[in-house]
Amino acid sequence: MGKEKREIKKDKKEKKKKLPIKRTISNNLFALKMIWNASPIYLVVYIGSSFVYGILGFLSETYLLRRIVNGIDAGEDIVSIVRYVVTLALICIGAYLVLSWFFNVVSPIKSRRVGAYVEKMLFRKASEVELACYETPSFYDKYVKAMDEAYDRMLKVMYTLDGLVSRIIALTANSILLFSIDPLLIVFGLFPLLLGFFRRLEHLAHHALESEKKPIKRRAEYVKRTFYLGEYAKEMRIGGMYQNMLRDLADTYEEYKKVIKKNGTRKAIYGYVQRVGLDVVTILGATLYSVWSTMCVGKANGGMSVGDCLVVLGSIGTISYCLNNLMLAFTEFGEHALFLDDVRFFLDYESTIVGGDKTAPADGGDIEVRNLNFRYEGSEQDTLKDINFVLHKGERIALVGSNGSGKTTLVKLLLRLYDPTEGEILFNNKNIKEYSLNSYRDCFSTVFQDFKMFSMSVKDNVLLRPAREGDDELVKNALVESGAAERVERFDNGLDTILTREFDDKGENLSIGEQQKLSLARVFADYSPVVLLDEPSSALDPIAEYTMFENMMRATNGRSVVFISHRLSSAVLADRVILMEDGRIAECGTHEELMKKNGKYAAMFNRQAENYLGNEVSANE
Amino acid sequence: MNKKPKQKITSIFRNNFIMLRKIAVYTPEYFLLMIAEGIIWGFINSAVAVFNYNLLDAVDGGADFIYAVKIIAIMAVFYILAYAFDKWYWIIKNPLMREKLHLKMYKELFVKARSLDLSCFDDPEFYNDFVWAMNESDTRAIEVLEDTGKLINRVVASFTLFGILLTVDPIIAAILLASSCITIACNFWGNKINFEHSKANNPLFRKKNYINRVYHLADYAKELRINHADELLMKQYDDNTEEFISYDKKYGKKYFMLYGVVWNMMGDVTFFALILYMISMLDKGTLTVGGFAASTAVVWNVRWMLTDMIERITKYAKHSLYIEKYNEFVRFEAKIKDGIREIPDFESLEFKNVSFSYKFDSHPKYQFHEKDYVPPKGEGDNKDALKNINLSIRAGDKIAIVGYNGAGKTTLIKLIMRLYDPTEGEILYNGVNIKEYEPEAYRQKIGTVFQDFKIFATSIAENVMNGTYNDKDEKTVLDALEASDFTDKLKTLDEGIHTHLTREFNDKGTNLSGGEAQKIAISRVFAKDYPIVIMDEPSSALDPMAEYNLNQAILHNTEGKTVIFISHRLSTTRIADKIYMFDTGCLIEEGSHAELLKMNGKYAEMFSLQSKKYQAS
Repeated sequence: MGKEKREIKKDKKEKKKKLPIKRTISNNLFALKMIWNASPIYLVVYIGSSFVYGILGFLSETYLLRRIVNGIDAGEDIVSIVRYVVTLALICIGAYLVLSWFFNVVSPIKSRRVGAYVEKMLFRKASEVELACYETPSFYDKYVKAMDEAYDRMLKVMYTLDGLVSRIIALTANSILLFSIDPLLIVFGLFPLLLGFFRRLEHLAHHALESEKKPIKRRAEYVKRTFYLGEYAKEMRIGGMYQNMLRDLADTYEEYKKVIKKNGTRKAIYGYVQRVGLDVVTILGATLYSVWSTMCVGKANGGMSVGDCLVVLGSIGTISYCLNNLMLAFTEFGEHALFLDDVRFFLDYESTIVGGDKTAPADGGDIEVRNLNFRYEGSEQDTLKDINFVLHKGERIALVGSNGSGKTTLVKLLLRLYDPTEGEILFNNKNIKEYSLNSYRDCFSTVFQDFKMFSMSVKDNVLLRPAREGDDELVKNALVESGAAERVERFDNGLDTILTREFDDKGENLSIGEQQKLSLARVFADYSPVVLLDEPSSALDPIAEYTMFENMMRATNGRSVVFISHRLSSAVLADRVILMEDGRIAECGTHEELMKKNGKYAAMFNRQAENYLGNEVSANE
Repeated sequence: MNKKPKQKITSIFRNNFIMLRKIAVYTPEYFLLMIAEGIIWGFINSAVAVFNYNLLDAVDGGADFIYAVKIIAIMAVFYILAYAFDKWYWIIKNPLMREKLHLKMYKELFVKARSLDLSCFDDPEFYNDFVWAMNESDTRAIEVLEDTGKLINRVVASFTLFGILLTVDPIIAAILLASSCITIACNFWGNKINFEHSKANNPLFRKKNYINRVYHLADYAKELRINHADELLMKQYDDNTEEFISYDKKYGKKYFMLYGVVWNMMGDVTFFALILYMISMLDKGTLTVGGFAASTAVVWNVRWMLTDMIERITKYAKHSLYIEKYNEFVRFEAKIKDGIREIPDFESLEFKNVSFSYKFDSHPKYQFHEKDYVPPKGEGDNKDALKNINLSIRAGDKIAIVGYNGAGKTTLIKLIMRLYDPTEGEILYNGVNIKEYEPEAYRQKIGTVFQDFKIFATSIAENVMNGTYNDKDEKTVLDALEASDFTDKLKTLDEGIHTHLTREFNDKGTNLSGGEAQKIAISRVFAKDYPIVIMDEPSSALDPMAEYNLNQAILHNTEGKTVIFISHRLSTTRIADKIYMFDTGCLIEEGSHAELLKMNGKYAEMFSLQSKKYQAS
């Protein structure tokens, strides 16, 4: 579910706002600064190369032809022309060779380094921001975009700048040349600027087209997924849903047709006006003028020479092309700035959960929750209300209650994944905010209900930290305790087997139950003083659950334990039971006390026991 | 999928030809226009060159000014017409035809996908190929066609450009031809290196994307904060970057030698050599200024055309690989064949000596690899998922199937649904092998709530009726939702049963919680009058109270129907008339709850283990 939600939000923000010019510039400069930080030489050489290409390109194209034709026309000595050409050839060949070495050998490595530099910075930030950020859609959107884009976007700024520089050089050189031939020619060159109005219209039509296409595409994609994803395969075979899906698909075509008719036609017309304006008015117009100047006025009367005419044919095209694309570069900068805004927002974000400077005691202590209230951001009511309890060192507490009563939230607060809205949590008599985040969280071993396997080796998955000498034994024992050893022993590579096929075709896939056993091994391999288990046995069958709990109680001897379970049978194992209801602690005490009290806990317990014990228990009710 | 088999030239030809023929049949208009476009546009580069050639010669040769104006006017008309066609074609016509082609190809693929045996989805190799074929069908057919159009364009353009050079001077043409041959060889070679490079990079990209995903998916956020997995990930990321760079170094040198030294230098030397040669001709007066200008333009043009041409030709080999898989998929014959017998009312269902293993050997290409086999969730990895099962279910029975993880419970259900056929033995419906019935009609007799049920992105009503809702079903839907205890939630929804579920493509859609979604899935079996109802762990997402209520509701609403429960929580099983206990694929015990307890076998043991803690109180 969660994933679906996110995808939608990503799309929803498609209507892009425009950034103020100042911000656009500063965002692009930010990208260049990042590249500069990662590798200053790279940036300098890359931009420098566009000067070389721009100037040599100009010299060896239009200008060369003019030099030759004019030279021959004027009866210049052929040797001096040849000398000119050969010199130019040698310079070009040499320069291009050096640049080619730079672009083929140096540049790929440098760009890889720049990308890694930026991406790692984001990763570090990502594991720093508080968990609540993941639940704030507006933040999460920006974050996902930042992550997706950062790697390439910084470099794209440099590429755009590079393109801009080489175009400006070509533009300047050609303009000077044309101006020196006949100042009037510049008018033709500037004409494309007048077409900017149509370009704007075309741009708008294009955007309308794209944004109206998007929801249609999304529907088609969804239909496609339902047909090929294994998870839908069963349902698609047993119901009539597939006909619905095919009908939906056919509908998308009809909608698409409408969108194209409406916006596509506009886009085509505005594009056409520009094309014709550029090629017919500018290029052919300038051609006509220079042909007239050469043929009817003549060199002798201040007109153009044949060589000049030749230059015009080439240069006017170059100028209008460059002008046209100059605008494009600025649109690109604007686009980069938008994406970089997300990156910067994310990097500049100050986490609200900040650790203190004290080191948490590695041998543990009492945890006291005092008058705690908690509300998720954007939520209208408190998820936890007035929670008070002490988890004594070495004590085992079972946290029970129906779905949505706040058990998991409480665990998250204990881990300081969120900070309480009101009240405080004390560890060893000090507010947990005083401890450094790392040292505090290191005091806990936690298995969440929605634990995750990483695409790493079995060993790494159990340790979840870089391995040290002698860890193999530790991991092996932990696997035995959690019941996963049997499966792991059957792997060819034992503890070094990579899990999942994410990026290793020889990787092993585990069933949910096996994954759960493996994640429980994490607790056994870690000697931290507090253990938090959030429904650790939901995917296990009763026998496996039974063995697991036995082992867990033995292995966690002396450690504080908080565990959440729906099966109240396991609550019997705890020193104390806390029953939560609607975010409050409804009952608290040992199993025996609560049974004697004959309150809510007893009712729940009996309801579950009823099925096993038959009528004796239900008679008690 | 990564193993790229060496392809024969003939098969590349054949495959691409097959695809082109398919496109021609599906959208003949698209096919013809694409070819026409290629040919017409092929002449435009030459047209511009010829235009400049004539114009400059007119200027230099001192011809009449009116003549020059005429040439320019012709060119203007040419541009005006050509661009009109160009814009109309690329912005309006082409996208529509593409969509049409997509639609037709998808339809064929989808219908085929649905007819596939479910076992195909379990075979990772087949499945990978299948997903690939599906995903690529988006673009690949179009690429084949458009590459063909472009290729025609480049060939026409290169020939006409060479033609122009020949009229100017055969020696210039010859020099350019020689240099072109080297260019072509370079490009072929370069593409080969490029292919190798990207192949080497592929696994690295997979890894990089994975790490990126771990950092940005909320699912991993907690784990990253509570332990030191991020240190591991960072290290992997660094190693990965270094590996990327080692390939960059290795291939960068090759690229430099090839493109920098040979290709670039070849081009430059040829260009300047031709310039020098033309200077001497100009000097002698054997070359006009127009010829000079046209030739230099042609030299650059030809070079670009050839490079592009080679790139497209090499792409055909990639297309061919795809088409091969696509064809395999389209021709794939489902193992589960249609019967023809009409389905009578349900009386009994019987398993006779049924064995089943997930091993499949029907399709030689997708030979089963033991190592690659991923058992479906919860099934363990035993080779025989079911061994010699005999059981019989009569109309109206309430059956519970119990056993540990991996006992084969879910597999049994899949066999009953005929999502798989037994490896050995037979399943009889009213005494007749279920293979003899038409599968669609047979499956209509059984209402199933799968453990991993899915909610579709459409209205609640359509979800409940499984896609066959029409207005007269309103009451049925409401009743079914009432039965599954969804009514409370329904009252909070403004549009009632027409509320759109999920935000997949409707921003106003409603996202349901796991428990609520499960209720929708359960109401499906109430909405239609299925004689057989199967519940695969229906209570897994529910807390004990909700589970209790659900069981009561199911019993209430399935009176007179056959119900099969699957569960590993034995508390549920007490409401069943008969319990079948499975262990590693075998049916080991059967009987009522009381009988099984008396028998004091595995069921009794499992039950006592589960109830132990409760009794201890």
